[in-house]
Amino acid sequence: MGLTLCKTNMAAASPDSTRTFQRDVEEDESQFGSTLCLSSSYYSVFVVRLAIMIMLAILVGLLTLLTWHITRVYTTRSLKTLAYGLRHELLQRPLLRMWNILNSTVEVATTQVKLSESVIRRYNKPAASQADQVELYQVMKELTWALFASRKALNSITLSYRNGFVQAFHRNHRSNNTYYIYSDLTNYSIATSYSVNLLSSHQGWNDQSIHTNMSAIWYREPLDPTTGDKTAKAAPIPPDELINIAGISQVPDGTASWHIAVSKYTDSPLLSAALPVWDASHKSIVAVVGVTTALYSVGQLMKELVEFHSGHIYLTSQEGWLLATSTNTPLLMNSSSGPKLMMAVDSQESVIRSGAEYLSRAYGNKLPPSQDVHIESARLVNRLYYIDSFFLNLKRLPMVGVIMIPRQYIMGKVDEKAFKTLMILISASVCILLVGWFCIFILTNGVSKEMKLRAALISHLDARRRAEASNNYKSQFLANMSHELRTPMAAVIGLLDILMSDDCLNNEQQAMITQIRKCSNALLRLLNNILDLSKVESGKLILEETEFELGRELEGLTDMFSVQRINHNIETVLDLSDDMPKVVLGDSGRVLQIFANLISNSIKFTTSGYIILRGWCETVETESKKRESYLHPKESWCAQKLKRKREAAQGKICSKKDNKMMLWFEVDDTGCGIDPDKWESVFESFEQADPSTTRLHGGTGLGLCIVRTLVNKMNGEIKVVKKSGPGTLMQLYLLLNTPAETTKQHYQLNFKDHNLTVLLALNGRMTRLIMTKWLREKGVQTHEASEWNELTLNLQDFFTNDNSQMAESETHESNLGSSIFIIIIDVGLLDLSTELWKQQLNFLEEYCADRASFAWILNHDTSKVVKAELRKRGHLLMVNKPLYKAKLVQIIEAVIKRDRNLHLQTPVADHEFHEIDSLQSPSASSDESEKLDNDSCNAIRGSEYFSRGPLSQSTLSSSCADYIHVNLEDDVSILSKERSSTKSYNEDKEGGAASSCKAVNEQKRPLEGLCILLAEDTIVLQRVATIMLEKMGARIVVVGDGIQAVDALKNKSQSNEHSDAKALPYDLILMDCQMPKMDGYEATKEIRRWECGSGWHIPIVALTAHAMSSDEAKCLEVGMDAYLTKPIHCKLMVSTILSLTKGT
Amino acid sequence: MEIVGQLQKQFVDFSTSLNHEGFLDEQYLQLQKLQDESNPDFVCEVVSLFFDDSEKLLNNLATALQQQVVDFKQVDAHVHQFKGSSSSIGAQRVKNMCVAFRNFCEEKNLDGCLRCLQQLKHEYFLVKNKLETLFRLERQIVEAGGTVPVIG
Repeated sequence: MGLTLCKTNMAAASPDSTRTFQRDVEEDESQFGSTLCLSSSYYSVFVVRLAIMIMLAILVGLLTLLTWHITRVYTTRSLKTLAYGLRHELLQRPLLRMWNILNSTVEVATTQVKLSESVIRRYNKPAASQADQVELYQVMKELTWALFASRKALNSITLSYRNGFVQAFHRNHRSNNTYYIYSDLTNYSIATSYSVNLLSSHQGWNDQSIHTNMSAIWYREPLDPTTGDKTAKAAPIPPDELINIAGISQVPDGTASWHIAVSKYTDSPLLSAALPVWDASHKSIVAVVGVTTALYSVGQLMKELVEFHSGHIYLTSQEGWLLATSTNTPLLMNSSSGPKLMMAVDSQESVIRSGAEYLSRAYGNKLPPSQDVHIESARLVNRLYYIDSFFLNLKRLPMVGVIMIPRQYIMGKVDEKAFKTLMILISASVCILLVGWFCIFILTNGVSKEMKLRAALISHLDARRRAEASNNYKSQFLANMSHELRTPMAAVIGLLDILMSDDCLNNEQQAMITQIRKCSNALLRLLNNILDLSKVESGKLILEETEFELGRELEGLTDMFSVQRINHNIETVLDLSDDMPKVVLGDSGRVLQIFANLISNSIKFTTSGYIILRGWCETVETESKKRESYLHPKESWCAQKLKRKREAAQGKICSKKDNKMMLWFEVDDTGCGIDPDKWESVFESFEQADPSTTRLHGGTGLGLCIVRTLVNKMNGEIKVVKKSGPGTLMQLYLLLNTPAETTKQHYQLNFKDHNLTVLLALNGRMTRLIMTKWLREKGVQTHEASEWNELTLNLQDFFTNDNSQMAESETHESNLGSSIFIIIIDVGLLDLSTELWKQQLNFLEEYCADRASFAWILNHDTSKVVKAELRKRGHLLMVNKPLYKAKLVQIIEAVIKRDRNLHLQTPVADHEFHEIDSLQSPSASSDESEKLDNDSCNAIRGSEYFSRGPLSQSTLSSSCADYIHVNLEDDVSILSKERSSTKSYNEDKEGGAASSCKAVNEQKRPLEGLCILLAEDTIVLQRVATIMLEKMGARIVVVGDGIQAVDALKNKSQSNEHSDAKALPYDLILMDCQMPKMDGYEATKEIRRWECGSGWHIPIVALTAHAMSSDEAKCLEVGMDAYLTKPIHCKLMVSTILSLTKGT
Repeated sequence: MEIVGQLQKQFVDFSTSLNHEGFLDEQYLQLQKLQDESNPDFVCEVVSLFFDDSEKLLNNLATALQQQVVDFKQVDAHVHQFKGSSSSIGAQRVKNMCVAFRNFCEEKNLDGCLRCLQQLKHEYFLVKNKLETLFRLERQIVEAGGTVPVIG
C-alpha cells in the first residue's frame, strides 16, 4: 500500500515539477542571459530534488507509523483484556482455595464447638465426679477424633479446657504421623474449675493459667491415622513443644479469631482459628477449640497453577508477612526464638522479592485496601512481568494475593511478532525511501540534464543567431558595397581598354597594360564572385525568368573556353542530347555562370585529356530507358536515388505544369580528381580540395560554392559522382520551365534522305566518338580517322572501293541525289610545322576534290597563312574548334545546300564562311555599355560562322530578341564577353550591310523621334536628364510628381482619342521612384490600372538612387519595365530606352 | 595669350584637384560633355539650379529637425531629394554625406541627423565655393578670349 501510494505521489509530483521547471526555464530564457539561466536552473533543480526527497521521506515515515499503530493497537488491546482475564483467573483459584481452607477450618471449628458445648452441657453437673470428668474427656476425645479424621487437611484440633486440661490431635503431613496429645489429668482439679463467678471476670482465665501449668506434663500418643487406635505408648513431651494450643487468650472477646501461626515442625505457616465453647447458660467459656490448618496446600495449588505459566503467586498478610508462595522456598525464617514468618521482601525467591520491593516502592508499605493493583511490564530481575494484586478481606486476617506473570508468557509471541513487524516495516520503509530517492534522483537527473542541454541549446541558438546576424551584416555590407567596389573597377578596365586601343604605345607598355588588364579582370571576377555569394546569402539574388536558348548559350560557352584554355591537349566536348528543349525559361546569365565556373574549374585542374559537358533532359515521363542510353553504366546510385527523391517531391508539380523540365548535366574531366572525402566540402565557400593547389592554380574556392547556391536556387542539386577513370565527374540537374509552346530541338533535315557519308578526321578522341555515334544514330555513314596516315588509308580504301560503284551510279547521278561525301578534317592533322602541309592538301584535293566536300576544323590560333591557303584552294567551310552538333549540322546543311546549288547551277561564291569572331579572346571588355562604343566600329568585323547563310537565318533571327535584352544589373559575369560578341553581331544585323559610319550616325541620335515623359521632382535631375535626352534626339515632357505624370498621360491620351490614333502619347516614361504626393511605384500602379483593358503597355523605366536588386524587384513588381540608377548613365539609359521602344 | 594659358592651366589644375579630392565625380564631366553650342551655359544653369534647390532643401531640413516631434520620414524624403540632385551634378561628397544622413534617419537618431546636417551644410558650401571658383575661372578664360579646356 505504501509503495503504490508513494508511487502515485511521485507520479503526481514529478510531472508537475518538470512542468514548473520548464516554465521556469522558459521564463529564464526570455528574461535572462544564458549563464544566469544555467545557474539558477541548476539550483532550482537541486532545491526541488531535495524537497521531493524530504516529502517522500515524511510520507513514508507517516505510513509506517500508521501501519504500525493499526496493527499494534488492536492486538494489544485484545491481548491485554485476555491477559487480564487470565491473570485474574489464575489468582482467583488460589484465593478460592484459601477461602475454602478458611471455610473448612471454621466449619470444623464450629462443629467442634457445637459438639463440645453439647457434651460439656451434658456432663456439667455441679457435683461432677472424677469419673464423670474422665468420661467427659473420653467422649470429647472420640468426638474430636471423629472430626479430625474426617478432615484430612487439618493440622490439628485442640481443646483446652478451663481447668487447663488439654486435648489435641495433631497430624504431621510430612511424616504422615498422627498424634494424640493430652495433658496429665492428675494435675487438674476438676472441682475448682468451673464456677460462674470466676468466669465472669476473664482475668482469672488467661494464659497464665496455662503457663502456670508449665509444669504439667503432656503426653503424646501416636495413633493410627485411619482408625485412631493407639499404636504406641504415650510419651511425655514438654508442653507447647509440638503444637500451639489455642488458649483463652486467643478468644478475648468471645468470638472466633484467626491468626497465622508457625510451628517448629512444619515449614509452612499455619492458619489457626480459635473459638470459645460457652457453657449452657452462655455465661462463661468452658473451653477453647483451636483448629490449625497448614497453608501448605495453598502453596501447592499455587505451584500447580503457576508452574505452567512460569509465573509466581504469593499471598501475604496485610502487614506483608508471606503466607504462601508458588515456589518451594521456605516461608519461615529461623531465628533464635524459633521459626518466624518472613516478609515478602525478604523472600529468598528473587522474583518474589523484587516484586514485593517493586510494589512497596510503588505504593509504600500500605497497599491500598480493597483496591486491586495491576501493573504491566514491571521489570523484575531483568524480565518484564505483569503484577496484579488482589485484596482478600478476611475478618481479622486480611490477605493480599500477588501474581506475577512474565510478560513474555502472555505477550511474548505478540511482542516478538510486533518487533518483527516493526523491523519489517522499518526496513521496508527504508527500502522504499531509498528506491524513491533513487528514482527521484534519476528522474530529476534526467530533468537537470535536459535543462543543461536546453541551456546549452539556448546558448548555441544565441550564438548562432549572433553569428547569423553578423553574417547577415557581412552579406549586407558586401551587397551594399557592390556599387562602390565595381564602379572603380569598371573605370579601370574601361580606361585600360581605351589605352590598349591607343596605337602610340611601345611594345613594353602594351605588354604591361595587357598584364594590368588581366589582373583587373581577375580582380573583377573575384569581386563578382564574392558579391554573387553575398547576394545569394543575403537572399537578394533574384533569378530572372526569361526565355533563352540553352543549347546555343552552352555552345558559345564551349567556344569561349576552347579559345581560353591554354593547354591544347585538352579537348572540350559538348554533348547535348537531341531531346533538350531549345528554349527554356530561366536566368541565362546564372545558368551559364554555373557551367562557366564548372568548366573553368575543370580546365584548371586538367592537364591533358578532355572535358565533356553532357546534357540531357528528363521530363517525368521519360523514364530510365532514355536515361540509360545516355548515361554511362557507371552512373552511380546517388543519381538514381536523387532522381527518385525528386520525382516523389516534384511529381505532382510536374504533372500539373507540363512544361517543367528536369535538365541533367554532367561535367566530366580527366584532371587530378577530388578526394572522395572532399566531395561535399568542395562546395563550401573558400574550400579547396587541396589547399596546396592554390599556389599552383590560384582561385579563391568560391566558384563551386556559387555554383551550388545557384543550382539550389534553381531547384536543382549538384554532386560529385564516382568516376571509374581519373578525373572528376560532377553531376547536376536544374529544374527549369520551358515555354508553353515548346518545340523540341529538331534538325530540319533528315540526313537519311541524302545518302550522306562523313569522314571524321579529328585528333580529339572524345569528340570523334560522340559525333560518330550521333551521326550513326541519324543514319549517316561515318568513318573515323585520328591522324594523317589513317586518313589517307581510309580515303584510299574508300575511294578505290567506291570507284567502281561510282562508275555504275554515274548514270543515276543526274536525277537521283547521289551520295554526298563530307570530309571533316582537323587542321591539327596537317603537319604545319614543316611545309609538308601544302603537299598534304594537294594530296587531298587530288583524291577527292570533286567527289567530296571538305570542312576544316580550325584552331583559334591557326595561322592566317593556312587560312588564306585554304580559302585560296576553295575550302570555304571552316569552323573553329570545338566541334559540336550544331556546327556539324550546319556543315552538313551547307554541304547539302551547296550540293543542291551545284545542281541548280547557282554560284556558291556568295557564301562567305568566316572563322569565329576573334572578339572571343579573353581580352573582351567587361562593361557592355561601354563596349557599345567599341562595338560600333567592331560591328563590321566578321560575324559568326555561317551567319548569312540563308538556312540559318531563320534560327538566328528568332533568337535576336533574346540578345537585345539589356543586362540591367550591371554585374558582370564572364558571360558578358560572350554577350557582347553576340551583341556586336546584332548591331551588325540591324545595320544589315550598312557601313560603319551609318552605325555611328545612328549612335549619335539614337532616340530620334521618341517622345518621353519624365517624372522627376528634383529640378537638377530634371534638367540634366532633359538635356541628355534631348541631345539624343528625344522629345521630353517634364512633370514634377506622380500625380502629374498620371494626369499628363490621361489627358494626352484623351485628346488623342478624339483625333485618331490609338497610339500612346508617349513612347516611354522615365519615372523617379521617390517623389512627393505620389511616388513612382504608386504612379506606375495607377498607370497600369488605367491601361488595363486598353491593350496598351507604355514602357516605364524606373529611376532610383537605390542600387540593390531588391529595389529592382520592387520596381518590376509594380509593373515597370526596366530600372536605371542615379546618377543617370547616359549610355545605359539610351540602350535601355532603345530596347524598350524598339518593339513598339 | 600668356594669361589665357596660365588661366587654362589653373582651371585644369583646379578641376582635376576637385576631381581628385572627391568634390566632383565623372557625372560632372558628363554634364560638361552635354554642354555644347545649343546649350552654352548648361552646366552653369544646372549648377545654379542645384544651388537654389539645395538651399531650399537645407532650410527645409533645418526646420524639420527643429520641430518638437521630428518627422523622420519627411527628413528622409528631403535628404533623398538632396542626394538625387547632388549626385546628378556629381557633387560626390555631398552625396556621400546624404547617404550617411539617411542612415541616421533610419535609426531615428536626432543627434546624428543634426550633426549630419551641419556637415552637409559644410560640404555644400565647400562645393559651392569650389564650383563658383571654377565658374569664375571659366568666365575669366572666356573673357581673356580663350576656350575652356575639356577635362576628362
